[in-house]
Order: sequence, then structure tokens, then C-alpha cells
Amino acid sequence: MRNWQTFVRDRLSMPALSPERQERIVRELAAQMEDFYRDAIARGLSEAEADAHALAQITDWRGIARDVQRADRAHARPRLERMANMLDAIPGPTGGILQMTAHVLRDMRFALRQLVRAPGFSAVAIVTLALGIGITSAIFSVVNGVLLRPLPYPEPDALVRVHETIPQYGRFSVAPATFLDWRDQNAAFERLAVYGGGSGTFIWDDGPERLSGAVVSWDIFELLRTAPALGGGFTADQDRPGATDVIVLSHGLWQRRFGADPNVVGTSVRMDGAPVTIVGVMPPDFYFPSRTYEFWRPIGLNPGNESRGSHYLGVVGRLKAGVNLEQADTEMRGVSERLAQQYPDDSAGESAEVLSLHEQVVGRIRPALMTLMVAVGVVVLIACANVANLLLVRASVREKEVAIRTALGAGRRRLVTQMLAESLVLSLVAGALGILLAYLAIPAIQTLSAGGIPRVDDVTIDGSVLAFTLGASVLTGIIFGLVPAWQSSRDSTGAVLKEGGRSSVGAGGRWMRGVLLVGEVALSLILLVGAALLLRSFDRLTSVDPGFRAEGVLAFQVALPDTAYPDEESQIDFFDRFLERLAVVPSVSAVSSVQTLPMRGGYVLTVEVAGQPPAEPGEEPAAHHRAVTPDYFKTLDMSLRQGRTFTSEDSMTSQPVAIIDEAFAARFFPGTNPIGERLNIGNGTDNAEIVGIVTNVSYDGLDAPQTPTMYVPQSQDMVDTQWVLVRSDGDPVALSNTVRQLLRDLDGNVPTMGMNPLTTTVNDSVAPQRFSMLLIVMFGGVALFMAAVGLYGVVAYSVSLRSREIGLRMAIGAQPGDVLRMIVGSGMKLAGIGVAIGIVGALALSRLVATMLFEVAPSDPVSYAATSLLLLVIAGLACYIPARRAMRIDPMVILQE
Amino acid sequence: MFSPELKKGSTEMLVLSLVETRPRHGYEIGKLIESRSGGRITFALPTLYPTLLRLENRGLIKGRWVEKPGARDRCFYRLTAEGRRVLAEKRATWLDFIAAVSDVMSATDA
Repeated sequence: MRNWQTFVRDRLSMPALSPERQERIVRELAAQMEDFYRDAIARGLSEAEADAHALAQITDWRGIARDVQRADRAHARPRLERMANMLDAIPGPTGGILQMTAHVLRDMRFALRQLVRAPGFSAVAIVTLALGIGITSAIFSVVNGVLLRPLPYPEPDALVRVHETIPQYGRFSVAPATFLDWRDQNAAFERLAVYGGGSGTFIWDDGPERLSGAVVSWDIFELLRTAPALGGGFTADQDRPGATDVIVLSHGLWQRRFGADPNVVGTSVRMDGAPVTIVGVMPPDFYFPSRTYEFWRPIGLNPGNESRGSHYLGVVGRLKAGVNLEQADTEMRGVSERLAQQYPDDSAGESAEVLSLHEQVVGRIRPALMTLMVAVGVVVLIACANVANLLLVRASVREKEVAIRTALGAGRRRLVTQMLAESLVLSLVAGALGILLAYLAIPAIQTLSAGGIPRVDDVTIDGSVLAFTLGASVLTGIIFGLVPAWQSSRDSTGAVLKEGGRSSVGAGGRWMRGVLLVGEVALSLILLVGAALLLRSFDRLTSVDPGFRAEGVLAFQVALPDTAYPDEESQIDFFDRFLERLAVVPSVSAVSSVQTLPMRGGYVLTVEVAGQPPAEPGEEPAAHHRAVTPDYFKTLDMSLRQGRTFTSEDSMTSQPVAIIDEAFAARFFPGTNPIGERLNIGNGTDNAEIVGIVTNVSYDGLDAPQTPTMYVPQSQDMVDTQWVLVRSDGDPVALSNTVRQLLRDLDGNVPTMGMNPLTTTVNDSVAPQRFSMLLIVMFGGVALFMAAVGLYGVVAYSVSLRSREIGLRMAIGAQPGDVLRMIVGSGMKLAGIGVAIGIVGALALSRLVATMLFEVAPSDPVSYAATSLLLLVIAGLACYIPARRAMRIDPMVILQE
Repeated sequence: MFSPELKKGSTEMLVLSLVETRPRHGYEIGKLIESRSGGRITFALPTLYPTLLRLENRGLIKGRWVEKPGARDRCFYRLTAEGRRVLAEKRATWLDFIAAVSDVMSATDA
């Protein structure tokens, strides 16, 4: 006769039921089948027949298993345990991992119950961790979106930027003729393309609008491997001088101005007064070279007649398969150096440099983001230390539970696993909250960093960020869980059980809590020092005198369409009339125009002092060159040091003149009087007479060194696009409508662009610094708060443990003041050690922020002293609150207990 | 033979009534239903056993493993107090129902 129990057990799968219940059901069904069998034998059937009879009783094993589980629902197991058991039951070589998972799941269920039982503790721990994990995920999402994610073009690794390098300036924009030679002479690139700024004025029903666009080589879209969503790209025929009357629209512009018309391709639109044909619309997520560009047109370079001396284009390339960056770099240097020999007048000493496009876009921001990553890492560590401390406190409360479980035979490993499961549950819940926090923080970061971080609009929470957060959660769970888990499993069983009701705190536990607290204070101080350094640096930076007064000035760009204003005379005439009308507006005290705004760099031209021996080609000195209207210096509130400013007498036809700044005078005329000297300027102006000296202006940014600058009258160097500056006695923004109206009256087809107070330009120029500074200061604040909470928690807990001792001391004559000193003293001792270690750590780590500092030493004593003091004061407060409670302990109450 | 639909409503009642006077084991209950109905009512093991479990879960019967020397271990089910109450109720309802049904069916239009 067969073993019926084995037979049934092998066929009946009832994972929903507890093992005991399963066993009982198997036993009973087996008994009944055996009854059928025996009955059949008794009726005279053969063994084989009886066996078949018994087997026939149950044919649908799945069905009976389902019915039995349903009928026995009262004995069903919780879902989590069931999942664990299913995993347990899966056989095979993977059994090890799955079984481990099963155990972990079971432990986690238990852990969840434990945490729900202590809601206060759980809430504090989870909030602390969520804060840490949340800001880490938010910053990681920025790092991910900006640094890690590839550029949004297919096969982005092969995309590079190619620069010219010029002896005086290093990496530089490319001259058009040089680009054409590069394109013809290289063997490294599948395609090489050029792009340049090409804003255009469009006339819509609601008036003219100036839009940012780019002029590009015809095959730029092929190079980027992104085809237009509608229509096609450009053809080589359209990329010729005079044939470039075609345009490709960005998706955004197509939606905003063309109502997403699917038949837009082939229609015509007026740009800068001339018709251009729309040949394509790019896909929604496409941008090049940045998101502000709304259209593209062919550049139409003329191979026979392009400049080799004016550098204003960007060059991108796609490497051929099998060619790497170094090879391309070597080749381009070779090509460029040959060209430099071929054209010594224009290109002497010039070379080339190939950089990955990604590195080019984000390289500048990398150090700042990495520093932020370290900073949030520190915040997470502090959060870990805090929660580890909470867990230690809780572990000492749970000593008895642990002791009993040990006495009942739970191994140390089992206990550690269980404790770890609890910390993992905590950190995973916190991680989920953290993701939510990061999600909410990203728009804030994007606003905060506008203009400061490239690609910040690409930042989202994607799979990588989720994976990072999960990893960070698990890791933090293990970090803060391991110490208390190990600690509580180590305490001796007997001692705890013998103690009766009173919890004994092992000396080890107290020691560990002290260590954690010291670490927490030290880490907080490191962050605070970093924050203080950046704060002071930012303060120094923004209090740099830029050499002009931005307050009260409204700035906007005006671009004249060359169809209506084809020559310098008409352009000069237009701006003269416009500025005249502006000047008579009440509250306007000065107006002027210039090609580029302060803080945004400008044109640099070579210059020679007439009468001095010429420099070697390629080694000519150079200076900023700004063509300005007469009232420029008055509008920016600069001072004339010597000579005169420009007047309306300085015209296209009069003697060329120039005004230099003090830096120029110091560089070119040390010890002599420059007035009356003459300059030969690299744009072809010879013998410009120096008529005045003005004060210096930081044109390249507040933290950039002063570059010598020469000014010439705009009438002697006119271009069709100008920034107009209007100084007002009141709020400059209030002038906006007046300005627009005056311009409309003058010519309804000329728009303004980028209208803002000049202070915005200055503020934007320090956006990256402001971004890092604000975030680190915020992290420092969070760290300080966590350290204070941690210190408070530890001191308060030790007060509650020592209440009997304190009562005794008071009973034998200790005064409340003594108790206060004792409690605060013990807490402050820890804080003091932490601060000392923190100072050492901060000194070691301050190199990290050194590159981000402006005129503040990484070891700046003020930052260190101020933050140490702040931390100690906060620590003192955190100790004082529980100490006051200790002072109020009534010895009689304690002794009677 | 009756259709499963017909048997369905009465299974629980039959089981309860069989363990009313003394505890019985599962196989015995099945056999008794068969023999007492003259073979007209039978319950296969896959139907009967989940019924036993369900009744036990609802506290109407209670199973107990009995180990007798010389005999195999068996689980004997006995009626609980609650089961006794429910059985009485079901029995009364059933008899009422039978009477009502036969009244309806035997009535002739005089």
C-alpha cells in the first residue's frame, strides 16, 4: 500500500494556509483515501483495483486545494508571510537567495509591527531620514540630469566641440574661413558643422518680436542625427551665400506662433523684413545649441570670401567610427598648425582643441555639483547618526525583549538580522518620502539655478534617480542599523534579566551614543564651515565694485532689420533719433547704447600704440573694445579721470578717437600720459587719438580680472544690433511701456528684446555662485538642526536614566546649579570634542570648495570661529532644556520609588 | 440521483445531522449519507471535505484526532453547542419547506 500522506502532500498545494493547518488537512485527506482503499480491499478488490478506486476519489487536485483554502480561510496566513513562504517553497539553485528574501520579508513584517507600536520614535526617525534622503535624491537628480545623462542626440558620445586656440586667449571661437578649411582638410569627422547666433525679427499680428535663432551649416541636423518632425532639413544648395531664405522652426515656436499647423511646411514667413520659406519643424524635445534657440537658418558661408581674423562661430563635429577624441584632437592640431603657417598674418600661432560636447556643456558646473553631492552625503551621514542614536536609545529600552529572545534560543545573527530589518523598513519608508521630497524640490532647484546651470531643464526623476534613492535608502538603513543591532545583540542576557524592572544601560551603549553624537557634531560643523565660507565668499563677490552703477538703469536690445536699415548711416540715424526721444522722457537722466552689456564679456581686439615697434604676429596685445554713444559713461555713472568724453562732434567722418580705462593706461602707458597718443586697432581703425581716461569696469564678471578696455564712438564703429541703456531717477522698470511706445512710434517693425533692469544682468552673472551658496547654507541649516535634535535627545535620555542618581545627589546636598552644570557639562563635552574634530575635518575638506571661493581663504578663521561658536551655542541650548528638567527633580519622590 | 444544485443546499444540514448523536470521522459521514439515502445521495470527497472544514471554521462542528490502539488515527467530528442550535433551526426550516412544497404540489384544483 502506498504512503497516502506523502501522496496527498505532493499533490496538494495550499500556500495560503499555515503549515500546521496544511499538515492537518493532508493527514485527514490521506486517512480518508486510505479508508476508500481499505474498504475496497475488504469488498474483495485486488490491491491494484483498490488503489485505483482510492485514487479516483480525487482527480482535480487544484480544485480541491482551492476549495479547502477557501473553506479554511480563518486559518489563512497574512499576505506578506504567504509571499515569503511561496518564495521559500520555490526549489532549485536559486533557493538560497529566494529563501533569504523570504526571511527578510518575514523579518520586515515583524519590524513593521514593532515600528507601528512606537509611532513617535518611528515618525522622528522617518522624518529625519526622509529629509536626508530627499535632498540627496534631489541633488542627485540634478547631477544625473546635468552630468550623467547623455546629451539628447543619438550616439552622443561621438559629438565634439572644436575650438581654435589663440596664443593670447587660449580656447576661442572659430573664424569662418578656418572652419571651411577644417571641413575640407580633416579625416577625423563624419561631419563638421558650424553654428552662430542669428536672432531675427518676426512681425506677428500683435506686433514685432525678436527671437533667438541660430545660423548653422546645412547638415547640422544630420550631424546631430535628429530629423525634423515635419518637413525636412536644409540642403547643401540652401547653404550658399544669397540662397539662405529657408528656416526650420523649433517645436515650441511652431506651437506658439503657427498654431501647430501641420501644413506649415512650404509656407512663407517674414523675417527681418524678407520672406523665408519654412522647410521643417523640429521634434518637441530637440534643442541646439541651447533651449533658448527657436529657429535655425543656413549660414551660407562664402568659401571664396570669408574672414580668417574674426572669430565668432562655434564648431561641432561627429567623430568617424573608430576615431577617438585624442586622435581627432591630434589631427585638428595638425590641420590648424598647417593653416597657421599658411596664413601667418591672420592665424600665426593658432591651433585647435577638440573637446567632448558633453564636457563642453557641463564641465564648468561639475566641481560645484560634486561639492553639493559631498555636502548632501554629509547631511545623510548626520541623519544616519541621529537615527542610529534613536535606535540605540530604543534598543536599551528593548533590552529585556532582546534578552528574553536570546534566552529562548535566538542566535545573535538572527537578532542582528531582525534589528537590521527594522532599520531597513525605516529607511525604505523614508526613501519613499524622500523621492516625494525630491520631486517637490526639483522645480525649486530649477528656478533657483536658472542661468547658473546648463541643462537644468533636463532634470527629472527617472529610473536612475529612483535606483539611486533605493540604493541610498538601503545603504543608510544598513549604516544606521548595524551599530545598534550589533550593540543590542551583544549585551549580556543574564544581567538584564536579573536587573528586574530597571533597565540597565550597558556602558557600551552609552559610549556608542557618545561617539555617534561627536561624529554628528563634527560633520555638522564641516558643513557649517563650508556654508560660512561660501556665504562670505558670495558676500565679497557681490560687494565687488563693478566700476559702474547698475541701479536705476533699464537695458534692452534693439535690432534693426537690414532691409530697412541697410547701411551705417541709416542705423546711426535711427539710434540717434531713438535716444533723443528717450532722453527727453521725464525721470530719464541719461541714455546710451552699446553692443554688449557689462558682465557679459565683449569684443576683444588686438591693439598697437602707434609709433611703438610692432609685436610679432600672434603676440599682439589685445583689449576689450566697446563702441559707445557719448552718454555711455554718464548712464553707467563712471568717472572721467582725464581728458574728455565723446561728443556728437565725433562722427563717421571726423578724426578717429578713443577713450581708454585706467587698466589700459597702466598696461600700455606706464608712467606716461596717454592723452594724444594714437592707437592702431585690430578692426582696421588706425591712428585713433586717445582723448580721455575713464575708470575701470568689470566687463567679464565680478570675479574676473580687469581687462584693459578701449572705447570708441559708436558713430565710428556701428552695428545694427545695440543694447540701449536708460538711466532713470525712479524705478527703471516703470519706463518699460514708455520705451516700447516710443520705439513703436519710430518704427512699428522694430521690437525690443531682453528688457530688464541692469541689476538683473549683474545678479545673473553670479547665479552659479548664488546657487551653490544657497544650497550649502540650507544643508548647513538642516545639519545644525539635526545635530541639535540629536544632542537634545541624548542628553534628555541620559537625564531620564540618571534621575535616581540626580535625586540622590540632591538629597545629599547638591544644589540645582550643580546638577545643571553636570548635565550641560557632559553634553557640552561631547559637543566640544565634535567641534574640535569638525574643525580638523573642515580644514582637510575645505580644499573641495577652494575653487568656488572668491577672496576668502579656505582656512578663513572668521568662518571657523563663527560656526564653531554657533554650533556650541545651539548645543548649549539643546543641553539646557533637559538639564532644567533635571534641576526640578524632587529628591523625595525619587527616593521613595 | 439528484442534481448538484439540489444537493448543494442540503449538504451542511446532512453532515450536521449525522454527527448529532455521536462523533464520526469523514469517511464514515460520506458512507452514511450514501447508505442512508439508499445510494441516491452521494458526496465525493472533494465536496465533502471542504464542507467539513467550513463547518468547523464556523464553529458548528469540532474535529479531534483520536488515537486508538490497534486502529488508525482518525479525525472525529462532533457537533458543538452552536452547531446544535443551527441544526435545529435548519431542520425546522427544512421540514417547513418540504411541507410547503408538497402542499403546493399535491393541491388539486377542486
